[in-house]
Amino acid sequence: MKKILVADDEVSIRLLYSEELKEEGYDVYLAANGREALEVVDKVPLDLVILDIKMPEMDGIEALRQIKEKRPDLPVVLSTAYGEYKQDFATWASDEYLVKSSDLEDLKSMVKRYLKD
Amino acid sequence: MVSERAAFLTQMVEVLTSTVSFGERLNNMVHLLGRNLKVDLALYFGLDKAKETLALNLSSAGPVPPHLQVEFPMGRGLVGETAESRKAKVVHRHQPGVLAANAPLEKLHPAYHTLAAFPVADDNYLYGVLILVDRGDRPFTPAERQSVELACLMLAGTLRQAIVQEEAKKRIAELSVLFEVGKALSSTMELEVLLERIVSTTAKVITARGAALHITDAATGEPLVSSRYGQIPPECPALPKMQGPTGAGEPPHFEGRSADAKGRMHYCLAVPLTFKGQLHGTLGVYDKFAPSGDFLPFDPENRQLLYTMAGVIVNAIENALTYQKVEDLAEKNERMVKNLTALQEISQALLTTVQEDRLLEILLQGLTLERGLGFDRAVILKVDETTQTLKGAKGARRPAKPADLPNSKALLLAPPEELPINGWEIPLRADQGPLALAVQRKTSYHHTQALPDPVWPAALKDKFTPPEFFVVPLLVKDRATWVTVVDNQASGRPLETEPLHVLQMLATQAALVLENAHLYSTIEANNRELLLIRERMLESDRLAALSSLASGMAHEIRNPLVSIGGFARRIAKLVEFSSPLRGYVEVIQEEVTRLEKLLREILDFTGENLSYYGDHEMAKLIEDTLILVQRDLDANKIKVVKEFAALPRLHCDDRQMKQVFYNLFQNAAQAMPDGGTLTIRTYAVEKPDGLYEAAAISDTGGGIPLEVLHNIFNPFFSTKDYGTGLGLAIAQRIVSRHYGQIEVTNEMGKGVTFIATLPVAKYCLVKDAGHDAVPASALKGPKGGRP
Repeated sequence: MKKILVADDEVSIRLLYSEELKEEGYDVYLAANGREALEVVDKVPLDLVILDIKMPEMDGIEALRQIKEKRPDLPVVLSTAYGEYKQDFATWASDEYLVKSSDLEDLKSMVKRYLKD
Repeated sequence: MVSERAAFLTQMVEVLTSTVSFGERLNNMVHLLGRNLKVDLALYFGLDKAKETLALNLSSAGPVPPHLQVEFPMGRGLVGETAESRKAKVVHRHQPGVLAANAPLEKLHPAYHTLAAFPVADDNYLYGVLILVDRGDRPFTPAERQSVELACLMLAGTLRQAIVQEEAKKRIAELSVLFEVGKALSSTMELEVLLERIVSTTAKVITARGAALHITDAATGEPLVSSRYGQIPPECPALPKMQGPTGAGEPPHFEGRSADAKGRMHYCLAVPLTFKGQLHGTLGVYDKFAPSGDFLPFDPENRQLLYTMAGVIVNAIENALTYQKVEDLAEKNERMVKNLTALQEISQALLTTVQEDRLLEILLQGLTLERGLGFDRAVILKVDETTQTLKGAKGARRPAKPADLPNSKALLLAPPEELPINGWEIPLRADQGPLALAVQRKTSYHHTQALPDPVWPAALKDKFTPPEFFVVPLLVKDRATWVTVVDNQASGRPLETEPLHVLQMLATQAALVLENAHLYSTIEANNRELLLIRERMLESDRLAALSSLASGMAHEIRNPLVSIGGFARRIAKLVEFSSPLRGYVEVIQEEVTRLEKLLREILDFTGENLSYYGDHEMAKLIEDTLILVQRDLDANKIKVVKEFAALPRLHCDDRQMKQVFYNLFQNAAQAMPDGGTLTIRTYAVEKPDGLYEAAAISDTGGGIPLEVLHNIFNPFFSTKDYGTGLGLAIAQRIVSRHYGQIEVTNEMGKGVTFIATLPVAKYCLVKDAGHDAVPASALKGPKGGRP
C-alpha cells in the first residue's frame, strides 16, 4: 500500500484529506507542522508528501527544503490556501503546486498520477 | 522848287512811315530817291558790324543778282570813305583815283560819271551809305544835298527803330526761351524726365537737330546719368568731359565738325555744366537747321545761349539729384518701416501659441503674406539629429488673394496656403547642397542666378529647384534646429536685400520660440506622465489596503471553506438520493463553490499575481478568448463581427490580456440576453508619446444608464444578481498595469463600446532624448518565472 504524508496545521483539513485518501486505498500519515512531517519522513518509507505552506514551528517551504535534502526522490506537493501569489523560487523545488479547494478531485487525480505503479 | 522839295519830303515821310515791312520801306525809299533826284541809280550799302564791311543791300534797279554783289571794306572806295568820315561827298569819274577806288561800281553802271555818297547815320551809329549814280557830270545843288541828307537822316531814324525793334524781338525770344527752359525745369522733380526736357528744350531753342547731356562722378569718372534728344549724327566726335571755367577768361567750350559719307557737314557744340558738388557734366547740341535744309555751324550767339542754359539747368539738376536721393532714402525708410512692422507683427503673432505646428503656420504666413515679407514660397525644415536628416516640416505659398481679414494679426493667425512638401528628406551631408550646408555651417546662403547651379539633393529634384533662393538656419545655442528656405519663383521678382535681413532677424526669434515650444511640449509630456504616475500611485494606495486585507482573508477563509465544502461532498456521497438532506448538502456545496470563486477573483484583483510578459498578437488573444465564451454567445444567439487590422505584436501578459477580453465579452454577452451583435474591431492609434493598439468591443445591448456608467469600473459594483462586480475593475486594472487604458462610449438605446488601448511598447511613455529607450520588460518584468 502506498504511503502518503499529509502535513497541515488545520485539523479539519487533515481529517478531510486522510478520509478521502484512505478511501482511495492509500496509507495516510499525518503531521501538524513541518517538524512533525520530517520526523515521519525519517521513520516511514513514504511515497508522497502533501505539505501545507503556512504552518507553526516549521512552515511548508522549510520542510520541503529539508525533505528534498533527505530524499530527493520523494515527490512533494505544496498545497496552500493562498492564491498563486506565494509562488516563488523556494517553491520550485516542489513537484506540484495546488491551491486548496473543497473539490478534491484535482488532488486525487494528481496523487494517482504520481503513485500509479 | 520849294514846292517840289516839299513834295519830295512829303513823299519821303510817307514812304518811311508806311506800314509795310522795314525792308520794303527801305527799298521804296531808294527808288524814290532815284526817281526824284533824276539819277540813274540809287544804291544802299548796309554796314556789317562784325565784318567791318559795307555790302550792297538795295538798288533802285531792282533785286541785286548774286553776280552783281559788291562789298567795300571800311575806309575803302567812296562807300568806305563816307562810312568812315560820315560826311556826304560827290565825286566824278574823271577825278584822279575815283575810277580805281570804285572799280566794283562799274559792274553796276559801266558808264557812270557822277557818284554822290551820303552816310546814313544818326548821332551815335552809322547804319550804311547811300550812293547816287548818274551818267551825266551833274552837280548836286545845296538844296538837293540838303534834301538827300534829310532823307538819310530820316532813313537812319527808321533803321534805328528797326534795329531796336529787332533787338527787342530777340530779347523777347530769348526771354521766351528762358521761360520755356524755366517751365521745363520746374515742371518735374523726376531726374530722368527733367533731363529729357532739358535736352529737348535745348535742341528746340537752338534749332538743333539733336542734343545730349552727360553727368559723371568727378571722383571716379563713372557716368551717373545721361539723356539724348533728336538725332545725333554718328560722325560727330563724342562730347569730351569738360570742367567748368577756371579763373577769368572765356569759359571753355567744344566745337566739332565732320562730314558724313555723302559729304554733308555736321556740327556740334558743347559747354560744361558746372556743379557745386563732385559732379562733371556736358551739355551739347548737334546740327543747327538752316531754312534751306542744310546744317549750319553754331554761332557765338548759340554758344552764349547754351552757356545761359547750362547755368540755369545746373541748379535744377542738382536739386533733382538731391530730391532723388531724398526720395530714395524716404522709400528705403518706408520699406524698412514696413519690414520692421511686419517683423513686429509676426513676433507678436508668434507669442500667441506654444504649439510647434501653429508656430510654423504663423511663421509661414508671415513669410508669404504681402503684408509680411511677401515671398512667393517658403518652406521650413526640421533638423533631425538622431537620423542626421533635414525633414520638410511645413511649406506655404503666397496666396493669390489673401483672406479678407480685418487686421494683420488676424491675417497672420489664419492658416497659410499649404505647399506640399512630401518626401522632403535631405541627409545632412556636405554633398547634399545648400540646405544641408546651411545647417552644417550655421550660416545663411543667398543663391542668385549669377552663381553656378547649386547641388540639388535627390529629394528636391523636380520639386524645388528655383534659380534664386535664400536659406537661413534657425540657431539655438549655436545649434541649427530648423532651416527656412524662401524664393520668388512664381512672380520672378528678385529677392530684395531688406526682406532677407528681416528674415534673418526673424530667424533668431523663430528659433527661440520654436525651442520654447519644444521645451514646453517636453514639460507637458513629463507633466502628463507624472499625473499618470500619481494617479496610478493613488490607485495602488487605495488598493493596497484592500489587497492585503483580501489576501489575508482569503487564506483564513479558504481553509474552513475547504473543510466545509469537502465534508459536504463526503456527506453527499452518504445521503440517499431520495433524502431531503441531499438537497441541503448540495446547497452547502454550491455556496462553498461560489465563495471559492469569489476568493479567486479577489486575489486576481488585488494584483499579487504573477505577470508573464511576452510579445503577442492582439487578434490571436481575442480569438483564443472568444473560444472560451463561445458557448455563452451561442446560448444568447449573439452574432460576432470581427474587423482585425494588421498590427504589430503587443508586449503583454497573455493570460491577463485574455482575462480582460474574457470579462469584456462576458459583459457584452450578458448585456444581450435576447441576442444581438458583438463587434470586435482592432486598429492602430498614434498618440504623441508613441504607437498604441486599440480593441473596440461593441454590443447592441441598449447601453448603460448614466447613473450606472459612473460606477462601472468600481470594484464590487454590479447591476447583476450574480457575479462579483469585479469584472470591469479587473479589466481596467490589468490594462492600466500594461500602461494602457479602457474607455467606454455609451449610446443609450443602442449599445456600449469598450475600447482598450494598449501601447505597442511600454517605453513609449518613458522615452528620453538622451538615452536609448528602455524596454518594458526591464522596467517591470515578471517577479518570478514559470517553473
